[in-house]
Amino acid sequence: MLTDHPDQSLIDLMQRIAAHDQDASAALRELYDQTSSRLYGVALRVTGNREWAEDALQDAYLNIWRIAGDYRASLSPPMAWLGVIVRSRALDFLRRRNSERVDRNQELDDFVQETVASEAVDPADAVSTSEQAFALRQCLSRLEPKQREVVSLAYLRDLSHGELAVQLKLPLGTVKTWIRRGIEQLRHCMQRFA
Amino acid sequence: MNLRDHPDLLDQLAASHALGTLRGGARRRFETLARDNPGVRARALLWQECFASLTELQPADLPSPNVWKRIENQLAVLQAQALAARAPASDVPLARLRRALGLWRGAALAGALATVAAVAVGVRLDRQVDQSGVQLAQLRQQGEQLTAQLQKASYVEYVAVLQGDNTDASVLVTFDPVKRSLTLKRVGNYQEASDRSLELWALPVSGGPKSLGVMGEGPLARLTAAEGEVAPAPALAITLEPKGGVPPGSGPTGPVVFKGPLLKTTL
Repeated sequence: MLTDHPDQSLIDLMQRIAAHDQDASAALRELYDQTSSRLYGVALRVTGNREWAEDALQDAYLNIWRIAGDYRASLSPPMAWLGVIVRSRALDFLRRRNSERVDRNQELDDFVQETVASEAVDPADAVSTSEQAFALRQCLSRLEPKQREVVSLAYLRDLSHGELAVQLKLPLGTVKTWIRRGIEQLRHCMQRFA
Repeated sequence: MNLRDHPDLLDQLAASHALGTLRGGARRRFETLARDNPGVRARALLWQECFASLTELQPADLPSPNVWKRIENQLAVLQAQALAARAPASDVPLARLRRALGLWRGAALAGALATVAAVAVGVRLDRQVDQSGVQLAQLRQQGEQLTAQLQKASYVEYVAVLQGDNTDASVLVTFDPVKRSLTLKRVGNYQEASDRSLELWALPVSGGPKSLGVMGEGPLARLTAAEGEVAPAPALAITLEPKGGVPPGSGPTGPVVFKGPLLKTTL
């Protein structure tokens, strides 16, 4: 039943926010309580820095305040829609900071190398996700951890092959191969969920 | 080669496009193709949706509680800007303000009070409509005093009516940039606990709130502030802080109790 769907409470909240009436800021607060830790996780992965992730998160919720009314038309699962907003805010933030600061790449490198080196990147927290995210998680879990990480970072940080190679200190050819094979495996796997 | 005859390659391109690794000329060619062909476009969108789900799969983490406070403050600014834009009040003529306050003084109907105030200074007073007669009388009296003050004053450059967030009370703020004088007047019966102080903040468009000073317990407070500290802020807010306010240079730590747009008036 539609009203029992866990997404429904988020969808209701976004409608209340979109009204921009007296109740709207209370609705934003509720949305924040329900989603901020997961969205902060996204911002953290994109920026690799707590302070910037918090700034991006702040920007993102203010943007959600502005455009909550657009959600309905998107037909996306609400968490994915919110996640894309946070990613895009975090990327804006990185680009701005990037042009201001040159030492950033070093910090990001360290962070990225840590996450690539770690095996604990299986994002299989038992939190509720959309069916689509469930499928993607299944398919990603079949990739090798490093390959999974390179594919994830390519998307989350909007990095080209060349940028990935520099940031991960890997040969360009290796990055290209991992990405190509990663996509190929995902394609075959995702077909089964389609 | 016609890509449409090679569904596997097409799908690979759509996925690389959505992932972001398809770049340069190849990306442009694919995008042209997608614009021409709904089937290609559909594949591209499917993959965009798929990778968007990556954002659902990241490990959660707790942001600092300050993030919400900053969002709340910025939200006050956004709401203030929206209010200011709705009532074309970026330059409320003082005469109009006087007239509004005059009507306010004479308002026999609580409804008129709300309407006039909302039109004149773009502030919602509707919650106050339900107040007791005592409070209304108080409001009227305060309104009279403010009107008298405004009439006495050589001019008033900035006015703000800060609405209670969880209270029906409000605070009227006037700022005279020549005398560098901020006057805060409590309306209604809000009183902070004896170990707390109300602190006034300018909420600039960018950057964090800037403290303008701490109010005493009395109904009227006067603070000194430079025009540059007050005028650029589209909104002001009052937070509940430990007695005496936060240490200089730090941001607000307590909840927002009053907030509202700052309006420039001209004579």
